[in-house]
Amino acid sequence: MRPLSRFLVAGLGLGLLLVLGVVSAQAAATLTQHIDPPEANVGDEVTVTFSVQNGSGANIRLPNVDGLQLAGTSTQTNFTIINGSMSSAVSQVFTIVPTRTGTFTIPAFDVPLQDGGVLHSQPMTLKVVAGGAPSSPNGSAPSGLGPVMMPPAMANPSNGNAADLSNPNITPPVESDGRPARVFMLITPKTTDAYVGETVPLRIEFFIRMDVIAQQDSLPTMKGSDFLMNDLSVRPGEDDLTLMNEPYHRETWITALSAPRNGDFPLQMVRDTYWTKGSNGVFTDPLGNFFGPRPQLAHGNIPSNQLTMHVHALPDEGRPADFTGAIGQFKASGNATPTAVNVGDPVYLDFSVSGEGNFDHVRSPALTPDPAWKSYVASSKVEYADESRTQGNKTFHQAIIPQKNGNLPLPNASFSYFDSTQKKYVTIPIPLPLVTVSGTSVPTAATAPAGADNSTPATASSTTDLNPNRLELGSLQADFVPAYRQPWFWLVQGGALLLLVIGALGVWISSRRGQDRTGTERALRQRTLRELEEAMSDAVNRQDAPAFFFAARQAVQLQWGARWNLPPEAVTLPLIAARDPQAAETLGPLFAQADEVIYSGLNAGNLNLAEWELHVREELLQLQAA
Amino acid sequence: MRIDFMNYFRLFALSLITLLATQVGARAETPDADLDAANRAYQDGHYDESAKLFRQLIETHGYSAPLCFNLGNAEAKAGHLGQALLNYERARYLAPGDSGINHNLQVTRKQAGLDPNPYRWWQVVMRSINWTVWLAVIVTCLVLLLIAVIGTASAQALSGKTGASAASIRRFFKGLSFFCVPLFLFFGFVELSTVGFNDRIEGVVMGKPATLRLSPFDSAEKTGTLPEGELVTVEQRHDNYFWVDDASKQSGWVVDKELEPVVPGTFEPSDAK
Repeated sequence: MRPLSRFLVAGLGLGLLLVLGVVSAQAAATLTQHIDPPEANVGDEVTVTFSVQNGSGANIRLPNVDGLQLAGTSTQTNFTIINGSMSSAVSQVFTIVPTRTGTFTIPAFDVPLQDGGVLHSQPMTLKVVAGGAPSSPNGSAPSGLGPVMMPPAMANPSNGNAADLSNPNITPPVESDGRPARVFMLITPKTTDAYVGETVPLRIEFFIRMDVIAQQDSLPTMKGSDFLMNDLSVRPGEDDLTLMNEPYHRETWITALSAPRNGDFPLQMVRDTYWTKGSNGVFTDPLGNFFGPRPQLAHGNIPSNQLTMHVHALPDEGRPADFTGAIGQFKASGNATPTAVNVGDPVYLDFSVSGEGNFDHVRSPALTPDPAWKSYVASSKVEYADESRTQGNKTFHQAIIPQKNGNLPLPNASFSYFDSTQKKYVTIPIPLPLVTVSGTSVPTAATAPAGADNSTPATASSTTDLNPNRLELGSLQADFVPAYRQPWFWLVQGGALLLLVIGALGVWISSRRGQDRTGTERALRQRTLRELEEAMSDAVNRQDAPAFFFAARQAVQLQWGARWNLPPEAVTLPLIAARDPQAAETLGPLFAQADEVIYSGLNAGNLNLAEWELHVREELLQLQAA
Repeated sequence: MRIDFMNYFRLFALSLITLLATQVGARAETPDADLDAANRAYQDGHYDESAKLFRQLIETHGYSAPLCFNLGNAEAKAGHLGQALLNYERARYLAPGDSGINHNLQVTRKQAGLDPNPYRWWQVVMRSINWTVWLAVIVTCLVLLLIAVIGTASAQALSGKTGASAASIRRFFKGLSFFCVPLFLFFGFVELSTVGFNDRIEGVVMGKPATLRLSPFDSAEKTGTLPEGELVTVEQRHDNYFWVDDASKQSGWVVDKELEPVVPGTFEPSDAK
């Protein structure tokens, strides 16, 4: 081998070894990602970098995130060989610009590779504050110091009747490091002056600083037992806002409270809260990536601001007899239908009480006792118009029955409540129409006794028109299982349906077979007919009258038999005469001549067989056509 | 010594028949006597006593439409309108379409201040269906259809036997099919709809007016009331609360002790929908 050739072979071998070694040394493809900075101002440029190591052909597309605008994309490729191991890295850098404040999450997505593999990215979070506000210099989570209590003097609402529960001027308490509190709660009642039983709308706001990972497993609760509060079963409203240049997440409930007794009472709420003390350990833990982040949780009750509620007793003076504890501002109306009835037939009263207040204590408008009418318990339904359930409309449906005839005025109806604004009792008269009552008056009408709600049904005083008792026992049964729950009920129907299906199936199969049989029979008949026609022609040629008439009669019987679904030999002249007299007239001479010739054994003689043949063929053609 | 097994068998059979006859006789006599006693108490105006006797009869011998009806009458006369309406509803359930039961039910509903007939006409029809009659109608339809199918297929043979043309025979049976198929589909649809309508879990408000609540908890907001005797449909259960609605579509959570099931046992947790 020449030296040059030896050199080439050695070079190729070395190259091959190198390639094989490099290929064999290549590790599996991996994906790394980072966002810089993790906190930014609105309008700042933020870079999001995805690097694929040891993977080729990666096609990375950043998912669209509302509030983040993609400003540019660039790609970098690096190759490194260390100790004979080659690694490649393709980095794709996205430049994004936040267009508004908030916490944005770039969701996880898949990165497909050229070799068919797929890499999975992790979600990334970017916190954006208003332009000009200082962002965290390094983006790391601050060390946990625990919650800061709300100063009692903060955000004390006016003692008047604020129409709006919103709290535009929120000043969070400040921690020892000078930053606003991580977690705090604020309660804002509509008023701090209330009456016993009055429902006071209450706004509860829970603030969590954006850089604090907090977790709440419970709802805010009232501290102490001086107040009753509506359930906080509805989901809170959630929004983000900036306080003292710090972004906060806020949860808001609108509810209502009431005090069962008068006096001055402290009003404060608490919420059981967990929050992360810090996350430094997460990144220094060498197994952190393996086991995932392990945040250290702290736990505590976050108290709200404390207020004093002044609860006043309802005045005794001027309290209407029909006052049931309704406090607020209400409107009441009513209607009665029908306005023309017979004695004993019900007239239905529909009342509506709407407005703002404690609807729990709103009862059906009171009716003045009237012997002409028997009243019954009203059913009620309330529809709330706001979250605190202090505004709404309560409707009542009540039956009253006339006890005498004539043009009767309905009992006077009125609704009373305590107006907490005017601080006085108000009685609203509810006008009702006149009712025309016909029929015979009930002789002993019982008045409905007053009950807890409004009235209770009178005892059976007019049950005289009940049908009398049955004297037979009837069919006794241990339980109430109705017929349609008994298996036999469906089995009988199913059986009948099955029978129908089987019958239809049988008919169909039979018809298919019948069609086959009919086809075969038709073919056989055609062949026989052709043979008989040939026999007729031969007989004419030979002037063999018996043979001709024998064949002709058989051919006619064959066709009529097919028409009537009868065997050919069953077709006789009497049968044809019975079923088709006109045909019998035409065929009569043929059958008679055939009998005469066949039985007498006469030859053609003076018979014109050709003419007979023509006549028979015409007849057969007509039958064929029919 | 030869043992005559036949004699032993005859003796045993005779004893068994005697025992059965005695039992049947006893069962047949006792309820009638109790029924007479309960009816006598009712006629004498001892309505509470009569109601008690009817209840004992039901507990001992089971339910029947007349017993529930009589108990409803006694309760109505005694002024227990909720109990009366419950038992009329039970009687109506056992004997749908019985005009006497419906009459007393309506009179008592009116007396309780309830809408005498809160249901629409089609609901009244559905509640009044007699299942045995319904079954007979549907099976008749199916049998007629079967006859029509077989008759259509056998028109040729029938033509040979009857002398009528096969075409006219086919026309007759096809006409029968065209009449029966829509009839069967209609009755089948109505039957399934009616089963769905009647297979609801119903209850009657007992005692004081029942409080409707927003959520199934004692502390939940009250959203309304249902008067005593009102018939409601139970849609859902949560612990000891039922989500109910009445004929006027008023709905809410009601605590179970304020309701009694029309069909006994249907308020058990496993039966609630």
